[in-house]
Amino acid sequence: MNTDRLIEQLARDVPPVSRHPVMRRIAIGLLGGALVSAALMIIFMGVRPDLGAAMRGGAFWMKWGYVLSISLLAAGATLKLARPDTGGIRWLWLLAVPVVLLAGFGIAEMLRAPQAMWLSMWLGHSWKTCPWRVLALAAPIFIGLLWSFRRLAPTRLRAAGAAAGLASGAFAAMVYCLHCPEVSAIFVLTWYSLGILLAATIGALLGPRLLRW
Amino acid sequence: MRTGEDQLRAWMVGGLDGSAADHAALLRALVPLLRAFYRRRAHGGEDDIEDLVQETLIAVHTRRATYDRGRPFRAWLFAIARYKMIDHFRRGHRLVAVDGLEDMLVAEDFVEASHARMDVEGLLETLPPKQAAAIRSTRIDGHSVAETAAAAGIGESDVKVSVHRGLKALFARVQGERP
Repeated sequence: MNTDRLIEQLARDVPPVSRHPVMRRIAIGLLGGALVSAALMIIFMGVRPDLGAAMRGGAFWMKWGYVLSISLLAAGATLKLARPDTGGIRWLWLLAVPVVLLAGFGIAEMLRAPQAMWLSMWLGHSWKTCPWRVLALAAPIFIGLLWSFRRLAPTRLRAAGAAAGLASGAFAAMVYCLHCPEVSAIFVLTWYSLGILLAATIGALLGPRLLRW
Repeated sequence: MRTGEDQLRAWMVGGLDGSAADHAALLRALVPLLRAFYRRRAHGGEDDIEDLVQETLIAVHTRRATYDRGRPFRAWLFAIARYKMIDHFRRGHRLVAVDGLEDMLVAEDFVEASHARMDVEGLLETLPPKQAAAIRSTRIDGHSVAETAAAAGIGESDVKVSVHRGLKALFARVQGERP
């Protein structure tokens, strides 16, 4: 087709664009996916019965704070990578801050406990299922983000996929916190992080395939 | 005539606010910019260049929401243009994505072919230069005897004899190397 005709046709359809459309679209994808995840968690795993009591203790907020800070950073990176002119994402080294903080917390906790308990603190009751459940809960959120990306313009597809996977994993971990009764920091540091990392890896693998436009 | 950044950005923002006239003016102004961009980078025909220009115009239109009003317009535009160029060539198989290159080389026996080639080159170096040149021209590069003779300024029979003697010497050498 003639380029002038193409421009004429394109210029016929110019609806106004709201402010912050990229942020809005990613927020809808993330929160929509997280709602589906929460529903799946409630149906198949169940909210921990002592949630109210747990929320008055420190362990719950330690876990939640850890995954919340990762979620925010990952959502920020996803937002950046959804635009063609990405800008730097070097500030992602900030991800090390919650990891180091939680590791310090975990070491302090272990030093206070007798050595015989260390293994059970690390493995808890659910180390075998925790990473897989986080990964499974990440799937609806990742799908939500794929929907977001359908009208966005990533140019670094692998990085964008990894960021979307990381965000899905971290949001899924926030949902999973409402079910999981584990209390030790070293447990969260290992098994939650493993689930989140799995989600990020799968995102990086799928990115170049699914995010093309 | 190139349109400046400020004017482009003003039209872009106008389009985002819903002005069809601004949007059309922007797209028209982008055509020469994009043609120049692709001509400098892609060694394709004019059809290819025009395809790329149109694909990019469509992308600018459908993805316009991803432009951040506070950021430089051209950086956004050329990021899209670069992406569309890579995508275009990847689909046309004319440009190979570098991260798949190694597999492709292995799959197409590139490694073995280049080893074989190195063997031949090594053997040819052991021959007198005239015989080596005659073999290289007729048997490797695929020229005819007449072409080879004309290029080297010698007779055709001279070429034939050189090839014959050279090949005989090579056979002897290769068989002599076998245990």
